[in-house]
Amino acid sequence: MSFCEILKAFPEGSDSASRLALAAKRMGYQGIMICNEAPDRIFRPKAIGHVKGINVIFGAEVCASNPRALRSRVSSLRPRFPFLAFSGYSEEMARAACEDPNMDLMLLRPELRRPLGIVSAKAAKQNQVAIGFDISPLVRWRGSARSRWLETVSRSLELSRKFDLAMAITIGARSHLDLRSPRDLAALAEVAGFEPNEADAALELPGKLVKLNQRNWLGPGVELL
Amino acid sequence: MRSKLPVLRTRRRYLAFLVEAEGEICSKDLIEEIQSSQLSLFGDAGVARNRLKLISFQNGRGLLRCHHHHIQETRAVLAAVGSIKGIRAAIRTKGLSGTIKSATEKYIPQLSKLSFENDGRRIELEEVSGCIIRTRGLEVDLCPDDRSWTKGSDTMYMGLTSFDLCGGHEDADGTTDGL
Repeated sequence: MSFCEILKAFPEGSDSASRLALAAKRMGYQGIMICNEAPDRIFRPKAIGHVKGINVIFGAEVCASNPRALRSRVSSLRPRFPFLAFSGYSEEMARAACEDPNMDLMLLRPELRRPLGIVSAKAAKQNQVAIGFDISPLVRWRGSARSRWLETVSRSLELSRKFDLAMAITIGARSHLDLRSPRDLAALAEVAGFEPNEADAALELPGKLVKLNQRNWLGPGVELL
Repeated sequence: MRSKLPVLRTRRRYLAFLVEAEGEICSKDLIEEIQSSQLSLFGDAGVARNRLKLISFQNGRGLLRCHHHHIQETRAVLAAVGSIKGIRAAIRTKGLSGTIKSATEKYIPQLSKLSFENDGRRIELEEVSGCIIRTRGLEVDLCPDDRSWTKGSDTMYMGLTSFDLCGGHEDADGTTDGL
């Protein structure tokens, strides 16, 4: 089992990358992925080299206001980062992200009230884009807002199972106090409707994707050994 | 009513946990928050199925009793706590055991008092500046001069390590603050 979590470090979160790495290592993660919207502005990324026993990967979260900007941003970031994620804040943008084969993960934002659409799910299957579930509302929200979100997640989950999409779970941590251990995350995911084996696979997915991306692919299905 | 048959007694499990918080937490506030989290996640029926009881809580470490069929639920309840009486906190589950004695022996070290002292030192870097609130091993909690630096995560303090402050060295082993 090699669990990996997607995080945001200072200045987009309140903790430095090395503090997040220390906290994650203590909780039992084998790796963390720091996905800031501005990956060049991360505070002291070199300090991470001193934290031993955990694999830290710098990915990027794509930030764009329209589908065209998204495509150009993805093509400029792809050669530099082994992992690209996008937070789908509207249905149109979520679909655009699913239609881009260079994208690794499309995160369903909790604020997005609609579940994953059929067209997006089909596109995600075709382009091998994983669907990410941000389960931070289970911690941050209470009451009717959380029950609405739970319903949306269960619908998205049904569709993801139907199209056999790769799924990932994250808690969207911006500080060490937001981080939860892999077993706690799996327990929260079960509350949200995940099966235990699905939750374990979802926690391992980001690490697997990065390993695949770090190999030298010449084209689809062709690898330089 | 108390059952006279020992075989009908419900089996219990004891979860050992650690509370990480930005301030001091008392056991009354903690159990109130845990019960409120359980009620909002699983409702009255869920609370009735799995009665939680705080056995002990001292120096940030505690023991919680739960039903042996609802361990995952209890983990989720603890993980769903994000703040206690307005203080940002996180409850980390350390382990599970069948008796209070074994849970205490395995997961609650006797000499584990966490010392949170006001440090009084300041940090002035190009990117961040502020007062050190406390240090724990390599970890440094910093009260930033600019509140907007912690805006996105709702925390009071910034989490750094001694490596970020250029004091870290290759052989730092976590026993000193390395500053």
